Amino acid sequence: MDFLSDTLVLSRMQFALTAIFHMLWPVLTTGMSIYLVIVEGIWLKTRNKDYYYHARFWSKLFVLNFGIGVATGIPMEFQFGTNWAPFSEAVGNFFGSVIGFEASWAFMLEAAFLGIMVFGWERVNSVIHYLSTILVAVGSNLSTFWILTANSWMQTPAGGELVDGKFVVRDYFEAITNPFMLNSVLHMFFATLETSLFVIGGISACYILKNRHHEFFSKSFKIVVAAAIAVAPLQLYIGHLSGEQVYHYQPAKLAAMEAQWETIPAGQGGDWSLVAFPNEKAQKNDWEITVPNALGYILEFKKELTLPVKGLKEWQPEDRPHLVGLIYYAFRTMIAIGFFLAGLMLISTLQWMRGKLSPENISQQRWLMGSWIFAAPLGYIAIESGWIVRCVGRQPWTLYGQIRTVDSASNLPASNVLTSLTAFAVVYSILFFCVLYFGSRIIRRGPRFDLPIPGLEPQPALETQPGEFIPDERPVEAKQ
Amino acid sequence: METLSYFLPQVWFGILALFLFLYVMLDGFDLGVGILSVTASSEDRRDILMTSLSNIWDANETWLVLMGGGLFGGFPLAYATILNALYIPIFVMLFGFIFRAVAFEFREQSTRKVLWNLAFGGGSFLAALGQGFALGAVLKGIEVDAKGHFIGGTWDWLSWQSILVALTLIQGYVLIGSTYLIWKTTGELQETHYKTAKLASITTLIGAILITIVTPIFYEQARMRLFDRPQVYVFALIPLLGVVLIWLLLKSLDRKQERMPFVWTILLFVLTFLGLALVVFPYIIPSQITIYEAAADPSSLVIMIVMIGALIPVMLFYNLYQYVVFRGKITGGHYE
Repeated sequence: MDFLSDTLVLSRMQFALTAIFHMLWPVLTTGMSIYLVIVEGIWLKTRNKDYYYHARFWSKLFVLNFGIGVATGIPMEFQFGTNWAPFSEAVGNFFGSVIGFEASWAFMLEAAFLGIMVFGWERVNSVIHYLSTILVAVGSNLSTFWILTANSWMQTPAGGELVDGKFVVRDYFEAITNPFMLNSVLHMFFATLETSLFVIGGISACYILKNRHHEFFSKSFKIVVAAAIAVAPLQLYIGHLSGEQVYHYQPAKLAAMEAQWETIPAGQGGDWSLVAFPNEKAQKNDWEITVPNALGYILEFKKELTLPVKGLKEWQPEDRPHLVGLIYYAFRTMIAIGFFLAGLMLISTLQWMRGKLSPENISQQRWLMGSWIFAAPLGYIAIESGWIVRCVGRQPWTLYGQIRTVDSASNLPASNVLTSLTAFAVVYSILFFCVLYFGSRIIRRGPRFDLPIPGLEPQPALETQPGEFIPDERPVEAKQ
Repeated sequence: METLSYFLPQVWFGILALFLFLYVMLDGFDLGVGILSVTASSEDRRDILMTSLSNIWDANETWLVLMGGGLFGGFPLAYATILNALYIPIFVMLFGFIFRAVAFEFREQSTRKVLWNLAFGGGSFLAALGQGFALGAVLKGIEVDAKGHFIGGTWDWLSWQSILVALTLIQGYVLIGSTYLIWKTTGELQETHYKTAKLASITTLIGAILITIVTPIFYEQARMRLFDRPQVYVFALIPLLGVVLIWLLLKSLDRKQERMPFVWTILLFVLTFLGLALVVFPYIIPSQITIYEAAADPSSLVIMIVMIGALIPVMLFYNLYQYVVFRGKITGGHYE
């Protein structure tokens, strides 16, 4: 149990733990914010009450997740200072600014309009309300933008250089638009959207399968399928582009993702391993199943590689990522889920085209609904796996190629970090189960169809209680 | 370039001071209401207290996130050193925030509310306590080496002076929380908080007097600054004005005014804050590191002033707007 007295390891574990837990909540709220914009838009356009009740129902789950997202997000920001003080000091010029941009551009926008979105149905008119919903979505997604910009910059630092151990920015635009930025932002944007869609779809499928409000939930289900048609394949494509970038900019990470120990020279076809048992001590895979020549097709869509794929042995052990097995399997998990979700989307679309998703038929689609329920948590697993690949694969660097993780950690007594780490582990685990419990409670209670509908005046009493008819018996001359 | 490297850190220090002040004022009443919720005599009352915050707590807390981000980007050295030194108070505050935030979500859903009541009240208290210790420790001074890196011990933040500051800050939060509730509620609940406001204004006053006396006696650095002419007149004026404001506050509580107690309390906060800023400036880690030493590269400060500073009016506008949307007294215990 040496690691219990190693501040660096403990700080890394604490950051990983808090990040892995934190991510679960904003992932849903970011994607769902867009879904809420769509649903409220349909409500305003069609004035079909069902869409209004959809907006109200899903926003309950939204708020539950949002609150936990805020609560678990604030520690992320402060940990940079508490546990990673040397890193913070070195990169404050850029990284710190971006954290500030996130707070001012994204977080404040989201926080200010969330209140109106959730509690303001009766207090503002429908245009302002819709605008608030849109601004919450804009804020959430701007958050993704800034955070992914900051993280991408840690992966491919650009726009300046280290001077006396401090990163001095030469060109902010160049730093923001660092090589990884665009694909990373898009990959995460689609990841949150896809995860949320499959969660909403899975919950809708659950109601449909139980024959509870199945007509109502077939509406949300169809919105999800329609959106997934675009999102799922695009995500696969962007994922591929991201992989290609890793190949060019972070070859050591790519080697770990593929558990590739030996270099494959240019002009050769590389085998792609499907399952392997990487052994870091022996610097080889103890056992593997490979697909011949597949690596060339995956990386460059052709058999022979134009560039060599470097093996892990190219780097000194202290310069390459460790936990190769974790990176390798996390990567494969992410990809498998990506393909599964795209496949499920494809089958659902086919069934829809065959008329099987109509309110009369949808409840009979038992295996399809079952698959959607199964798919509901998969997006989360894919995202967590993706981040493990991204950040464990970045090791031993915090700022890739420039600042090592060893040199980034605060000098703290290990007991302090151990205490806070334990507290996080306990509290976050409890929170996790609480959210599952209260979330499933919201789902079990189902939508409320008795909420007042904004913009519909209550019927005036005169019309509902017609007065007695008194015939006018005055002489004709008096009736003017 | 010389003037720029003086001017820019000062502007950015001013912006951060504004963020910190807005945070202390807004989340101050927020946390104060949370602490007061422990004393609420019924679940209905507690419902009202929480409803009075449910749409704003998140936006209020965001000012702290903004302050954190701004300090990180604007004065990286100070951000790293201060947070490193205050490891324990910071995590006490963070866990307080976590308990409190989840209480908002879970209490609403839950049938057994006791646990979440505790999470809300206790979380608010912990958050305020952590902040109080942090403030007290920063004022007392953080031990650093020649490069400005923290070299002190784990428990440096704990001293009788920081306990005094923490207790006073909690009293101040209870005071502003009480006056906020006077403004937002009616009837018996309002009556209760006229009482808590009065009590808190007296305890806050005692704390403030002690701090005012203690500071020049125990801190040589502060003494030199305080008794240097012409500052001495300004510094003499602040406690006097403070006493006047407390008197006005107590008067307005006696007259059962609804909004003025909140206004007087805010003015008291402004005054205290000005006093602290004057004692601290131009240091960002008092009497160790100046804002010029800790400041980020001028180019970073410029871009942050453009990207964040320019947004301040917009952020203020939409915060204000949501206060307008939810103006008026809290009547029921729920929004649905």
